[in-house]
Amino acid sequence: MKLKDAMLLTGNHAAAYGAMLAQPKVMPIYPITPQTPVAEKLTEFQLQGLLDAEFITPESEHSAMAACISASLTGVRVFTATSSQGLMLMHELLHFASGARTPIVMVNANRTVASPWGFWADHTDSLSQRDTGWLQYYVENPQEALDTVLQAYKTAENPSVLLPAMISYEAFYVSHSLEVVEIPSQEAVDSYLPPFDPELRFDPEQGRSFGNVVSQELYYRHRKQLSQAMDKVFAIAKDADEKWKELTGRTYGLVERYKCENAQHIIIAMGTISGTARAAVDKMQSDGIPVGLMKIRLFRPFPVDKLRQELAGRDKVIILDRGSSPGTGGGSVLHQEVKSSLYGLKNAPEVYGYLAGVGGTNITPEKIEDLVKRSLKEKSTTKSIWGW
Amino acid sequence: MLQVRIEGRGGQGAQLAGQILATTFFREGKYIQSFASFGGARRGAPVSSFLRVDKLPITLHCDIDKPDAILCFDSSLLNETLLEGATFRTKILVNSSKGTGDFKHLGDFDITALNAVNISRAHNLGRIVNSTLMGAFAGLVGAPDIETLLAVIREMSPVKIEENAASCREGYELIKKVKEAV
Repeated sequence: MKLKDAMLLTGNHAAAYGAMLAQPKVMPIYPITPQTPVAEKLTEFQLQGLLDAEFITPESEHSAMAACISASLTGVRVFTATSSQGLMLMHELLHFASGARTPIVMVNANRTVASPWGFWADHTDSLSQRDTGWLQYYVENPQEALDTVLQAYKTAENPSVLLPAMISYEAFYVSHSLEVVEIPSQEAVDSYLPPFDPELRFDPEQGRSFGNVVSQELYYRHRKQLSQAMDKVFAIAKDADEKWKELTGRTYGLVERYKCENAQHIIIAMGTISGTARAAVDKMQSDGIPVGLMKIRLFRPFPVDKLRQELAGRDKVIILDRGSSPGTGGGSVLHQEVKSSLYGLKNAPEVYGYLAGVGGTNITPEKIEDLVKRSLKEKSTTKSIWGW
Repeated sequence: MLQVRIEGRGGQGAQLAGQILATTFFREGKYIQSFASFGGARRGAPVSSFLRVDKLPITLHCDIDKPDAILCFDSSLLNETLLEGATFRTKILVNSSKGTGDFKHLGDFDITALNAVNISRAHNLGRIVNSTLMGAFAGLVGAPDIETLLAVIREMSPVKIEENAASCREGYELIKKVKEAV
């Protein structure tokens, strides 16, 4: 990146730039800390004439998502943003959105869920939406937030997919972190992202209805198709990332590898902890510990085949999870997902699941190094361990 | 990498100070990261603001617990917890009506006290001390360049632009004099 072509943006404002460049036609948004600056920035763009969209301010997140679904069904591009309690309130409509096959793109500023009350970085809000049929990306900095909004539209709107996509970034560490960001031109984005033009849509010229009562067999067929569409996402999202590289020079992969060549042990993380883990990997490699990092950027669909391919023959896998799910053998969602992905794999590594950063606790490179060293000394267990 | 903690109370401008300093370093060709942690907005409650500056892109996304410099807006926040990660090498600037010598009891630290409120009041800024403290910070740490900082303060001050710039320069000059005397 050339610094002279870049500007300083927070994660929230970078996400808003991504949305503006996608030129959505409808934006139903309900503000919530720490997402509010996304909504504020988009109204600024609208006033400046940079964005020709209808900005709807409904009375709740539930209604915001309902508006997103209806708008998307008319065949226009839709954007929204939320966080934590707001995402929880949308839950019913998240299922509706995927079932209605509406490729809505939403950013979610990951924030602790009540009770108790908090404003801190924690993935539990979005992890607990994992079964709603949405694509889920987790990003680690403002630039990746901007880039991923556009990649998400390209993937979600693909006629083989037609599913909604959520991009999650953590409270404060990304949402309010001012960093160097390069903004692609409108022309470049227009060449990357074609207009959304679905074959089926609400249109007064065509008699159609969506979301009718169906028989058991039709419902079964519908869910099967939804699942099959999700199975196609990995290849399409990979292609969207590669085309983004051709356009901007930036690529992330869907599972990003950092110094994994000759690494016997692999750290797995999502979001900002993977950024911090890079420093820990650098330090440990210089100390002679053969450890690398894999960042899970696309969590839904979960990159099962990719992980089986990448992790076969490794010694140990150390999972750092900033979200918790009580009652899942110690409480780490990511731990469960990785373990089930590796089931039956020959030469499977030992898997260690650590809860790290839950509730927004500060995870430094030293703490990551400590957990890696613990795993090198201890036997793995099926249960996740509360680390830091 | 330069790592700075800015500690203040809601409404004092600690977060904005982080962003102004970050913008100044960025203008000097550096990669920056500036974020604050405050939860729900509460005037008067402690606000921690963090600033990283480097020649290379910054991937760390955690709080700064071993800062190279601390800029403290309120001496009641300069306590053992804040100083936990500091050493005698950490440059610490505190806004206080007390003298530098009054902070000796905190231990072997490089603490400089500045009565920023007096300077800000003299420039008709009332109790808003962030421009003064940023100037003093530049004098103490030797970066960023004061002229770049003044230009950014002029651009980012919502009101009383010249008052903020003058207050910043006075903070800078005063600390330079103190440093030269040592």
